[in-house]
Amino acid sequence: MAVMNQTKINPYLRSVSIIGVGCTPFMYTVDHEETNGLTEGEMFGYAALKAMEDAGVSPKDVDFYFHGEASPLNNSNYLTPNIQVANWFGMKGKASIHHSEACCTGYYAIEQAVNAVASGKYNCVLSGCIEFGDSVAVPNHPYKREKMTMEKFLQTTAWLYERGYTRSFMAGQELIYDDAAEWYKRTRNLTDEQMDDTLNHMCITNRKNAAVNPLSITKKTYEEEAKEHGFEDVMDYMRSPFNPKMGDLLRAGGIEIKCDGAAAVIVCATDMVDKYMGNKSHKPIEVLGVGCAACEAITPHFEVTATEEAVRQVYEVTGVKPEEIDIFYANDFIITSHLISAEIAGYLPYGEGWKYICEGRTAYDGDKPINTNGGRTSFGHAHAASGMADLYECVLQMRGDAGAGQVKKIPKTGMLRGYGGAQNICTYIIRTLE
Amino acid sequence: MAIKLEKVTETFYLKLEEGKIMGRKCPKCGAVEFPPVYACNTCGNLETEWYEISGNAKMHSIVMPAALSSKPEYKALGKYAYGEIELEEGSRFNGVVRGMTKKKRKQLLEEGKLPVPVKAAIYQRDGYKTVVFDLVEE
Repeated sequence: MAVMNQTKINPYLRSVSIIGVGCTPFMYTVDHEETNGLTEGEMFGYAALKAMEDAGVSPKDVDFYFHGEASPLNNSNYLTPNIQVANWFGMKGKASIHHSEACCTGYYAIEQAVNAVASGKYNCVLSGCIEFGDSVAVPNHPYKREKMTMEKFLQTTAWLYERGYTRSFMAGQELIYDDAAEWYKRTRNLTDEQMDDTLNHMCITNRKNAAVNPLSITKKTYEEEAKEHGFEDVMDYMRSPFNPKMGDLLRAGGIEIKCDGAAAVIVCATDMVDKYMGNKSHKPIEVLGVGCAACEAITPHFEVTATEEAVRQVYEVTGVKPEEIDIFYANDFIITSHLISAEIAGYLPYGEGWKYICEGRTAYDGDKPINTNGGRTSFGHAHAASGMADLYECVLQMRGDAGAGQVKKIPKTGMLRGYGGAQNICTYIIRTLE
Repeated sequence: MAIKLEKVTETFYLKLEEGKIMGRKCPKCGAVEFPPVYACNTCGNLETEWYEISGNAKMHSIVMPAALSSKPEYKALGKYAYGEIELEEGSRFNGVVRGMTKKKRKQLLEEGKLPVPVKAAIYQRDGYKTVVFDLVEE
């Protein structure tokens, strides 16, 4: 194991709760007439206002906002992108800050918002995230966008990795695809076929979940897709050239669907929820704790190592036990994240997680639901916004408002594990207030 | 010693031109940082000193390159794989190992021979030299 520093985190100075959430559909904006031309202000503004409406607050009640976007220069022709959107949701003149932690941005969005309230400085904070993952702003035009080319996308993702050694050594940036799967397969003694089936079953489950989610970018199950291609057995389809190997272990279906989207949350001091929520009937959801760690991609098993540390922190500070977690989300732009993080968190038992997945127990209608919105491979990946979209979904599940995708037993406690850019990990636990 | 604003990265690459692979050793706990950086991540000491590594190492994990995880310029490496490298001085990091094939990986895994010995080598990339590793054949 590589040398790993640890951090002891302390309980919050005061309790903070989630009182409102908002989310756009995850979509290819430029592909459809009704969405082609949507701007940053409109997307972020919609998510922010929906979160305020949900919370029962007005922009006047909100003291400060956080703005997350992974790649604002590339996608939006913006530096300091927080400044450009405030007027759209009634917060002109109020302070804000932009942050970017690549695909983990939407998870750090909670860490920062909660800290701002827990410290006592602000009572009510908005935290929103946006990404145009499928399109880029046309320079010198007020609203037109064009499709993101793969060449441009790969050029920007190369920026995620440290310049001095990691890029030069040629390994860290390439291991993001298969390292976690190799680690799991080796340490749990799975055969090639068992690992392949596990990865495929995660894709199938994600798609099943997304198919009943109104905001997801994909609606067709893999079973339906298989039939269209003449396969009776979905697993035969998943193992076929229709789902080709793109990595050493990873197939095409296990990779993110990059798209456009925005999502937001309103948090406030728990002892002030009555003041802010007025006559809203839903229960606030307390953020019990947030654990964070980061391993630059030259670190062996960077995702695994940082997840172990972040999970350790959040369990230690909250006192919550793994068996108390009712629902789990993992930012799985590489599908393996779904499995390894759930097992590291103890949500699935050590060495047994792959069996739960292959048995379908992690679908929304299973007893160990994971990524009930369909995750990054089926709900979609609007990079910064994805983590916040996961929170949106988790909150709806915890309220019992998730519609056709509602899990069987309304969850009381949820864990969300963010990961992004091969570097940042942010894991938090939320619980419905009684 | 004193904390210095020092060009560690440039020095590392210039030493590669001289055929030397350098890390930094902590004068307090003896841990070696590779690739070289200012401070010690093991004990937290604020300073480290230049130290030439032996190049002897072990490979703990093996991931083969594929469509997603390779670049046209990597073809010049010949057969290779990615994985966790541990120097005999203790540092662990991700690196490239030349000479690894799918067949060899299968054999190593089946025979329980991980970690497998590797040796550092200096490799010319476009405009600078870097460090890769070679599988040590028994």
